[in-house]
Amino acid sequence: MIKLIKAEFKKIFHKKSFLIVTLIFIGFAFLTNFLYKSEIMEETYTYVDIDELKEENKTLNLNLPEDLNTYVNNLTTIEIENLKSDFKDYKELIIKYCSDIIYNSYEAKYISKDLAKYDNYQQELNNIKTKITNQDWDYFTNINHDNLIDSLNNSNDSNDKEYLNALIKLNEYRKTKNIDYNDHNYLNKAINNLETNLLEYFNLKNISNRTSDEEEEFDNIKSIILINEYALTHEVNTLSHSNLNSVLSNFTSEFGLFILIYVIMLAGTSVSEEFNKGTIKYLLTKPYKRSTILLSKLLSILILIPIIILAMVLIEILIGGIVLGFNSLNVPDLIYNNVTNSLVVRSIFSGLFLNIISVLPIYIFIGIVTFFLSTITMSTSAAITITFLFYLISNVISNLATIYHLSIFKYYISLNWDFSYLVNYVPNPFNLTLTWSLIVYFITTLIILCLTFIYFAKKDVKNI
Amino acid sequence: MNILKVENLTKKIGSKTILNKVGFEINEGEILAFIGPNGAGKTTTIKCILGLQKINDGYISINGYDIKKDFIKAIEYVGCIVESPDVYMYLSGYENLKLQASLYKNIPKENIDNIVNLVGLDKRIHDKVSKYSLGMKQRLGIAIALLNSPKLLILDEPTNGLDPEGIKELRDLLKKLAKEGIGILISSHNLSELESFCNKVCIIQNGKIIEENSINNIKTLKENKYKIKVSNTKKITKYLTKEDQIIDDNYFIVIKDEDSIAEFIKKLVLKDILIYEVTKETISLEEIYINKAGGNKID
Repeated sequence: MIKLIKAEFKKIFHKKSFLIVTLIFIGFAFLTNFLYKSEIMEETYTYVDIDELKEENKTLNLNLPEDLNTYVNNLTTIEIENLKSDFKDYKELIIKYCSDIIYNSYEAKYISKDLAKYDNYQQELNNIKTKITNQDWDYFTNINHDNLIDSLNNSNDSNDKEYLNALIKLNEYRKTKNIDYNDHNYLNKAINNLETNLLEYFNLKNISNRTSDEEEEFDNIKSIILINEYALTHEVNTLSHSNLNSVLSNFTSEFGLFILIYVIMLAGTSVSEEFNKGTIKYLLTKPYKRSTILLSKLLSILILIPIIILAMVLIEILIGGIVLGFNSLNVPDLIYNNVTNSLVVRSIFSGLFLNIISVLPIYIFIGIVTFFLSTITMSTSAAITITFLFYLISNVISNLATIYHLSIFKYYISLNWDFSYLVNYVPNPFNLTLTWSLIVYFITTLIILCLTFIYFAKKDVKNI
Repeated sequence: MNILKVENLTKKIGSKTILNKVGFEINEGEILAFIGPNGAGKTTTIKCILGLQKINDGYISINGYDIKKDFIKAIEYVGCIVESPDVYMYLSGYENLKLQASLYKNIPKENIDNIVNLVGLDKRIHDKVSKYSLGMKQRLGIAIALLNSPKLLILDEPTNGLDPEGIKELRDLLKKLAKEGIGILISSHNLSELESFCNKVCIIQNGKIIEENSINNIKTLKENKYKIKVSNTKKITKYLTKEDQIIDDNYFIVIKDEDSIAEFIKKLVLKDILIYEVTKETISLEEIYINKAGGNKID
């Protein structure tokens, strides 16, 4: 049996198709990692055409009040854009602290015609610019602090007060840690994210009877807040998506197609090719039972699937490390646990391992189906095509079953083969228990395997 | 001892009977020529013996093991080529041999090397099989068949694609193997190649064995013919019987057994007739086959 499995490995590794798919995978991995890298450049701000605004201003009649308003607005926008390009890494800071001042200065100059006020505002603006250049972050935290205290004193709403107190705490954190307002500083990002999501959090938190939609939204916001809090308290960059860590935590979705291709390619050719090429005659006249020969073929595929995935992971770590750097590998993988409402912290490797193990049953089942089709049709192309169709249709059925809550499909394999919900700490999307899924999975697999072995044992080697 | 025994072998595909009560035996050291026209059931019989096709009825034993009950023991010492030597084209000849050898118990590397030399592939054995000619593939197939030191060798049309020299080498090889006690079943359409070294003939037609006999028995089924060259055949007409015939001015044919031909020649010599040539005309398998199979064309 071991001799047979060794012989199978030898055949597989000598096949050209195996080499070709591996080369394509390496190319694909490079592209994927570059895609992740390019997210650094991703422009989240909308593009403003300054020239167009300048042109528009020339056509405006400044004696009309509406035109004057537009004129002032346009000037403000142009000035903000210019500032943003002067201070490329501090766009958030500029929007937050300069927008009002710029608008007010132009308002004073053109609408209220108060040039003294205009000069004051311009001075304030210049002051801000020097503060940014000197990286004097205390200046901004102090302004923010004063504003928040003001708002707190004027507020009567308990929600608002809770929210403002949280913002004050965040601001104090900023001040004590002297956090750089740089847009790429993950600590700054985490604070900004928290600031934008806290209001909604307190609103939802204080609703006594949340609808299911609200509940979902609340869970979502809670997970955002916990993840950003983690980044702040542990001072690790868990927010960036343009690193190796991020590629690895999405490994199964980014490279799942390649696992599928490898599995279908191996299982689809294993039996049918021997029949088509006539080599089966030598194999079956060796001193082994037919069932032993088939079993060793099946086992060699089942052993190879995890080995191939492991090799893919290693290749990806190597390529990802070259493209994105290895330093993100010690950043943990954070998962929000929907059941206990807490954050699960695990190393990127254990996260990757759990993710792969949880979807391995899909690929094993696909392998067994392809193997079955390859054995009964004796046609490699039929086995590969039918399996791909089966996989696509199974995904459609899974989607239909979630949308329409169709209970008849609970016996269908694709509702029971994906266990990734367990390691992502979300409830089963089809409301099926783990025991149920395991029973359906094993019974379906067993039936297919029995059919394959019975058929193969009786199969006549036809004349070629 | 029986190396191969086939009794009442019956194979049906659907309602069609492919093989009908086929039976024959091969003993140690025997070479059986398995002959029949296209579609007679030669390859099907071979596949049934090797367990590649299931049999509906009958009994097959190899080395005394029933292939239905003890398939593994029965097949262990069988070497074969079925239809054509189909090997893994993406491997070299040597890798193919190593792969096939690895599936048996302990075949030492020296055995593989010896067999490579035996079939004359030593110069090209490390080339990819996809670069081989048909004859070279046939040699590789024979090498694979010999890997496990078989006691029964089953060769389905092994001379296909071999050049005359290759055929001669194969013939010598098979004779040598038979002397060592191996039983050989060989099917081929080239009957003249077989008759010189087979000791048994089995003729199959429409799934039925129509003749199974030793080659000598078959050949003595008919009288011996002698072709004689003289200066002028007109002089000798009076000595001929009705069965004898005159071919032309120089040649004529007489039918005599071995004792009377000597007497006949002596008689002619005493009558001052010059004899230039006496050749014994053997009856070829081809003729026997055509007689038995009713003139059906052979593939």
